[in-house]
Amino acid sequence: MSDTGFRPAHGEADWYDEKLPRAIRSHRGNPFRTIATVTLVVVLASLLGISSAYLIIEREQPLNAVTLGPWHAYPKAGTSEADPYSVAIYTRGAVIPLASGEGLALVAREDSNGHELDPTCVYSIAGQTPSARLWTLTAVDGHGHLVKTMSGRVNLASDALLRNADGTFDITAATRPHSGNWLPLASEARAADGLRFVLRVYDAPVTTGAALDGVSMPTIERLGCP
Amino acid sequence: MTLSSRFSLSVGLLATLCLAAIIHILVVLSIPHNVLHSAYDNIETYGPDRQFNLLPDVRPGEEALPDLDPAMKHAACRFQLADGPVLFDASIPAPFWSIGLFNAAGEAVYSLNNRTAGAERLSMLVLTTEQLSILRENPPENLEDLIVIETEEPLSGFALLRAYVPHPNRADSIDRALKAASCGSIR
Repeated sequence: MSDTGFRPAHGEADWYDEKLPRAIRSHRGNPFRTIATVTLVVVLASLLGISSAYLIIEREQPLNAVTLGPWHAYPKAGTSEADPYSVAIYTRGAVIPLASGEGLALVAREDSNGHELDPTCVYSIAGQTPSARLWTLTAVDGHGHLVKTMSGRVNLASDALLRNADGTFDITAATRPHSGNWLPLASEARAADGLRFVLRVYDAPVTTGAALDGVSMPTIERLGCP
Repeated sequence: MTLSSRFSLSVGLLATLCLAAIIHILVVLSIPHNVLHSAYDNIETYGPDRQFNLLPDVRPGEEALPDLDPAMKHAACRFQLADGPVLFDASIPAPFWSIGLFNAAGEAVYSLNNRTAGAERLSMLVLTTEQLSILRENPPENLEDLIVIETEEPLSGFALLRAYVPHPNRADSIDRALKAASCGSIR
């Protein structure tokens, strides 16, 4: 940044000399440059701030999740103790959460190996759930909406389930009918639609204070993809 | 004073990051105040306030409210405690039912299910502390049997009643019970 071109004619301006250290050399502000810099900073900051907020809200994954294998629960979302992100996510979606006295919803977006769920694949959901008076398992798309299935049914409930002798169960989630417990997936599914499993446990000790740690949850294994 | 170009670049970057963080926080905090349709607004479309309105069955493509369980039938009631105490009364022939009270922001205030209710019949009174002290001067006979929920401020919100339908042939009787559920004033 050389100032020689703007050096005034009279001798008092000797301290403009290049020999002075840079930090104490006089600076002739250029208003256009200043305005341009401030505008650039404001525009970049707005872009960064708004897009990062949008991305976090759009992912629809509140921050303080309780993770049990592939399942995530958000016991604090939808209460007065919720963090600002889940408040934004829940109010934006106008979601009415399951209150603690009703039950707890657990959502899986990935299988037990960490691969994202794909509605064109066949999954086996097996094991046992936390003790509850009733639970339902629902398959929804990546945005949480229900999808049309071949049977018209979109969920399974604990009271109409075939169980093994030891109380565990095996559920096959697939588009086409399967023997045993069949959870129908979208009949016209594309991988891009996304898939989530929602397990809602009703009147379960896990929703009313008992620790969620060490609770056994079903595993989700991918059996095959077309 | 002239700054070295590297130093001005870092100052610029730092300013951008700080401003971005402030904007990020402001955006996240402002979303709840700027939503077009809250759950409280959505419920208004299903019928008048201070009565239980049966929501349509949860089916693909016609979900009354987001994120409801398709295995359940739902009835919702909007109320404002400023208009007086609200008495919930219902007898639902379902193996599981639950009721959640939510404020206008959609936060759960109180909830119970048919086991924690302690009786097959739901009878719950929601009122403000002030309304309760007025009521105590001339209490109704059954006040002892009611579940009384006291709120400090006059709550505006809604109640969502969920009833599990174990088999399609039970759907009609549960529909009737939900329609008959009352969400009104005490006599």
